[in-house]
Amino acid sequence: MTSIQALAVAAVAAPTVTALLVALVPARCVTFAALAGAMTTAALALTLAGLAIADPAHPVTGHWVVIDAAGGLLLAVIGVTGLTSVLMSPAWLRHGSASLVSARRRDRVYYAVLLLFWAILLAVPLAGNLGAAWLLVEATTAASAVLVGFSGRRHALEAGWKYLILTSLGLGVALLGIAILTAGLPGGAGGLSWQQLATFSSGRPVAVSAYLLLLTGLAAKIGWAPVHNWLPDAHAEAPPPASALLSAALLPAVLLIAWRSERALAPVIGLHPAQRVLIGFGLASLAVAVPFLWRPMPFKRLLAYSSLEHLGVIALGVGFGTPLALAGVTVHIAGHALAKALGFHCATPLVAHEPRAALHAVTGIGRTAPAVGTTIGISLGVLSGLPPSPLFISEVLILAGGFSSGRSWAAAAAAVLLALGFLGLAHATIETVAGKAHHGRPSAGLPGVRPVLALGGVSAAVLLGLAAAAPWLAGTGFVAALQRGLP
Amino acid sequence: MSGLEAWLLVGLGLGVVVARRRSVAVGLVTAQALVLAVIALDQAGTSSDLVAGLALAARALGLGAVFLAAVARSREPAPVRAYVGPVLRAGIAVALVLALTALVPAFGLASLAAGRAVLALVASGLACAVTRRATMFQILGLVLVENGLALAALMSRHASPLIIELGVTLDLTLITGVAILFHLRIFSELGAGDSAALRSLRD
Repeated sequence: MTSIQALAVAAVAAPTVTALLVALVPARCVTFAALAGAMTTAALALTLAGLAIADPAHPVTGHWVVIDAAGGLLLAVIGVTGLTSVLMSPAWLRHGSASLVSARRRDRVYYAVLLLFWAILLAVPLAGNLGAAWLLVEATTAASAVLVGFSGRRHALEAGWKYLILTSLGLGVALLGIAILTAGLPGGAGGLSWQQLATFSSGRPVAVSAYLLLLTGLAAKIGWAPVHNWLPDAHAEAPPPASALLSAALLPAVLLIAWRSERALAPVIGLHPAQRVLIGFGLASLAVAVPFLWRPMPFKRLLAYSSLEHLGVIALGVGFGTPLALAGVTVHIAGHALAKALGFHCATPLVAHEPRAALHAVTGIGRTAPAVGTTIGISLGVLSGLPPSPLFISEVLILAGGFSSGRSWAAAAAAVLLALGFLGLAHATIETVAGKAHHGRPSAGLPGVRPVLALGGVSAAVLLGLAAAAPWLAGTGFVAALQRGLP
Repeated sequence: MSGLEAWLLVGLGLGVVVARRRSVAVGLVTAQALVLAVIALDQAGTSSDLVAGLALAARALGLGAVFLAAVARSREPAPVRAYVGPVLRAGIAVALVLALTALVPAFGLASLAAGRAVLALVASGLACAVTRRATMFQILGLVLVENGLALAALMSRHASPLIIELGVTLDLTLITGVAILFHLRIFSELGAGDSAALRSLRD
């Protein structure tokens, strides 16, 4: 085993071991153990991501483990999002009361499941074959469904149930696609490595059927329209740190599997047909999300529909597949993750300040709780694509990539939908931050305000840096490696 | 796999779609999983195949016991009505089976009948999950899909690595276990395992 492979194992093992420790240590040490384990995990994941991104021309490829540029990007995103989720959890646990388990075991069970979920997520971009990737994605469902329903309230149970059933059925359909692929590979399930998928030998029509089943099944987990029904409910009802991990890390991690499948099967089914499926899902997701961004709705639900929009944008970028579009995809995945995680973390102090925010649209938060309002403003401003948001630049890059790839009709339709989405979310930003104020709880002493404010400051700086770097990304070796895919 | 075995598996799947009582449906699903285990053990050529077959049998019996325990712990005064009647449910399932077998070309399993049986089981599972309101039946729909995929693995011309087969079995069992926990919690919260009562979150 090489040192980089050992690092990959350590990055996944650290949160797993921490989850076990959390289950065993005395109650007073649970939070400390979780925080210490989270920092170790994030350090390992970011080191691994740094190594993968610094040398994109030489990915480590094996049957079980792959460490490449795209995986490095996702590792960084999952590492950072997971760390912020664990760091923000004490504030939510102090504020929240009900749970699926007894109050005595609540913190212990919560941290153990959150850390296991994080560990599985970290393994997804490292999976060296489609079979292992499916196993990991399915395993995330079990862990994250428990988190979605963790409060044990009726709405949370409903959201958790929908999430569990719809994504499991979707993944069942994806597994049917994998079974069809397996039957046509010379090595059977042993030939499911990303590089060997191109040796599929049962003919193009069978490969197309398998690819469509696989993508449709994964779409149910990614939350692409029209199989997105679980997404707004699950994101809205999960504890905010879990919502952050679901939206900012899980969805793009599963999207990476769809992306790798598209690259791997393109030699069999043709690059353009493979890309057209992704473009179709992208446009459908944008078209479904935009009307909801115009409606007043609870803050976390608004963020969920924004996830639908942004995952659609990423699908379009991957589908266009040009260097410009892939540079946009890189910036979009990173920028969306930071801004979305920040937004969900704001929900803890927001709901403490104004409890009706859990079920209704709220306005004027900047007037009654300036610190919370400011961070919400940063998050929603970035997500709406308001310049200098890196998401504005990434969307321009993706659209430019679409026009340059000859898919002008798709790029034009996306441009119109993005403009409408921008107007809706920008309006929601103004109303939420600076609209008519209602009386909420005094803003002093709200749970999680200080860490959210600190996270907002750091995120704003990183997002500005990302925006500054974005225009130069298209010509780099990193984007060239993304376009090449795995050797 | 013989044609009789294929028809038996498909018939048991359609039986779950139309069954009124949860305990009957649990029995049908368990019988179907045991038939799969018998086929696996009958075809086992290596020690890995034998382990995979035994894992399937253990899973069938284990899940059956857990399902029956869950049914016993969530007794309902009357069965939860489905969205549509049994004849229409069967019609929807058969239509879905025919659509799937028409759309997906033969994909290289050991026999054409096996490939069609796989698609029929997956379609029956989807139809069961979509047309039933009872949470227990929705879980059983998932298990039907899983059984179809287990059949695909058994009928593949290539041996799958044991780690993948056991991983899939473990993963699907875990998902089913979490779903049963949710079912019990929903029952204790709402007094019925009825997914129609879980429709308050809408935009």
